[in-house]
Amino acid sequence: MSVFESFKYKRKDTFIHNLDPRTKLIMVIVLSAVSLMFFEIVPLLIILVINTILIAIAKSLREWYYTLKGLLYLLILVFVFNYFLVSPIFGIITVLRLLALASSFSVFFLTVHPDDLTQALIQMKIPFDYAFSLSLAIRFVPTIAQESQSIMDAQMSRGLELQKGSLIQKARNYLPILVPLIVNSIRRALQIAESLESRGFGAEEKRTYLYELKMRFSDYLVICLFLASFLLLLLDRYFLLQYLFS
Amino acid sequence: MIEIENLWYVYESGFTALKGVSIRISNGEYLAIMGKNGAGKTTLAKHLNGLLKPTRGYVLIDGMDTRDYSVAQLSRKVGYVFQNPDRFLFAESVEKELMFTLKNLGFSESEIPSLITRTLNDLNLSQFRNRSPFSLSGGERRRVALAAILCANPDYIVLDEPTVGQDFYEKERLAALLERLNKKDRRAVIVISHDVEFVADHIPRTITMSDGLIVSDGPTNKVLTNQLIIERSNLKLPQISELFTLLHEKNSHIPRDIVNIEQALEAFNKLTSSRKR
Amino acid sequence: MALIEVEHLFFRYSRSNHWILEDINLQISSGEFVLLLGTTGSGKTTLCRTFNGLIPHFHRGVYQGVVRVAGFEVDKTETPKLAKYIGYVFQNPENMLFSLNVEREIAFSLENLAYPKDTIIQRVDEVLSLLNIEHLRHKAPYELSGGEQQLVAIASVLALKPKIIIFDEPTANLDPLTADYVLRLIKRLNTVFGITIILVEHRLELVMPLASRVIVIDNGKIVMDGPPDEIINNQLFYAIGINVPKIASLFNILNKRYKLGLKPTLNIYSAANELEGVFNDRD
Repeated sequence: MSVFESFKYKRKDTFIHNLDPRTKLIMVIVLSAVSLMFFEIVPLLIILVINTILIAIAKSLREWYYTLKGLLYLLILVFVFNYFLVSPIFGIITVLRLLALASSFSVFFLTVHPDDLTQALIQMKIPFDYAFSLSLAIRFVPTIAQESQSIMDAQMSRGLELQKGSLIQKARNYLPILVPLIVNSIRRALQIAESLESRGFGAEEKRTYLYELKMRFSDYLVICLFLASFLLLLLDRYFLLQYLFS
Repeated sequence: MIEIENLWYVYESGFTALKGVSIRISNGEYLAIMGKNGAGKTTLAKHLNGLLKPTRGYVLIDGMDTRDYSVAQLSRKVGYVFQNPDRFLFAESVEKELMFTLKNLGFSESEIPSLITRTLNDLNLSQFRNRSPFSLSGGERRRVALAAILCANPDYIVLDEPTVGQDFYEKERLAALLERLNKKDRRAVIVISHDVEFVADHIPRTITMSDGLIVSDGPTNKVLTNQLIIERSNLKLPQISELFTLLHEKNSHIPRDIVNIEQALEAFNKLTSSRKR
Repeated sequence: MALIEVEHLFFRYSRSNHWILEDINLQISSGEFVLLLGTTGSGKTTLCRTFNGLIPHFHRGVYQGVVRVAGFEVDKTETPKLAKYIGYVFQNPENMLFSLNVEREIAFSLENLAYPKDTIIQRVDEVLSLLNIEHLRHKAPYELSGGEQQLVAIASVLALKPKIIIFDEPTANLDPLTADYVLRLIKRLNTVFGITIILVEHRLELVMPLASRVIVIDNGKIVMDGPPDEIINNQLFYAIGINVPKIASLFNILNKRYKLGLKPTLNIYSAANELEGVFNDRD
């Protein structure tokens, strides 16, 4: 269980999981924008609470816990750094911002299947070739991760010690890992291209799509809610709503 | 000597790959570890050079407990040849590949040139000394990978599925090399494989595994002719053994523990000469 | 008209100066189960690539002669257009699986060829049940074992119901029992569904008895072409460097050494009968 746990999709049946990926895209954009817009503790805490509730609705609190555990050292480092460089308050604020951003992205990645993301992009008129490239990249991430582990094993078996030496030495040590990884990736890409051709990729201009995304009432509702809140917040933040009501 | 005592290994995911494995491998032995994919063979092999450390139990390489040494230190004794050479070839030339291993394992500047020359000669790679490994064919790259491990003269050599996708000539060349390493250079050779025919043809001792446990450990012609062991290890009988099992059923004078053509011919000789009385 | 026709085919890769395929002439009819044999580098994979257009369209080089598949001239037809007629299962299933989900993987080819949604759903169901992998429907490729991956790869090629399927060393990474299963499945595709099979394999013990025709390539030329029983009776077979099935090899040696006149066979039971006869004769 690693820090990446709440950025991996898991198939579950929850309200959030069942929302259209486009809806969730808007959600994550709004949530991230708000996380970056505010420099006060209260708004950031509110975002964090909202995100935690969303993650809870998505029945994924356990995954979020592992990510938090993994981020602990980073957060402490950030806090201490900002505490001494700027001020204690700023330390807390930066940590909260990081958490707000991380949780916003989590809501997205926990609940959106990468194939659905691709489909969302396609239905938003992004050309199939580009959307599919993204999908392939996501699909091969675990494969390449495993391969880099195998490569490390193989090079360690030749005496390579990744932890030893100066910073420069450590950087040089990664060359025997990177070169085979890159070469193999290129080879793999060629094989994938051959397979794609053999499976009819590009045969017809207009493809069929097995799963087409359809927006439902709940999607529109959530989008309106988020966009409305975002608008209000924007007004409050930059145009001081007080003036409107005074 | 390699001593593996009650070895258990549990992966991070919770999967128990080894459930109490105990094996002894003496210097200069030649053996195969067989089983279906997922039986635990590779997990076991990775304990031999410290890539994996035991969850329970221990592994001693010539008295060194693998838990107390790094992979680099253990690699001076145990050479691990991975299945896919493209997983670790990266240097500008074949010579530099071998140099990489030798430098990392702490060989001195004075020793290195002769070790390289000898290994390249042994593996018929001298003409490729200055060539980039990427410019070589698949079979040649496999030999370079082998060279990159053998140049350090490890006492124990582990090969992971060395016969996958190879034709007859390549397999014979490999078998001859392994035989030489074992008989002439007195190195222990441990082959992890599910290629029953290759093991039956060339390797005297076979250990079979299933589900993280050792099913059998003994002479190849006893292990690979035992129907029960074959079934429990999810393997198939070598074709010659299948034949002789049938023959034995028809005529009990015909021996049953035959695994390769050589043994078959010997049996044939014995039977027909004993009849000529 | 034969399903695959090859006339005076020559090919070499751009960076090479010797022919990888030299004057290949070949006809494969519908329903055949062809086993393609040869040592490493003999040209067998290259030949397979000429059947579905990867040569000359994807791999450039010097190409002479004609290859016709299902009536189409391959060098004038792009590979994706041929996918409906000829499928290709590659050696490493990892690089054949693009989706994160078996169901979508199988639908992939059908989507590419713009089949209507209903047909796609139906075909996916059909293929999953045919190969007994319905339980894998929602799994991701990296969650599958090597054998399962290979089955999914086959399923996704089968979805288009091609007339011909090429299998390039499909059991290379599989253990013996799984390899057996996959090869028997391939045989069923041939006998039950009439799919023409072109299989490249090294593990002949399992596969030779299943084929109806064996073509041996050596140095870019076809040197043997006939039914398996004929091939194993040809001395050339033992000299080329292929992994000859052990019993055939044993019989060949016994014949040479003891002048026994045994008939090489691929069938274990006939082999046992013949040898038993020999042992009894010598009594």
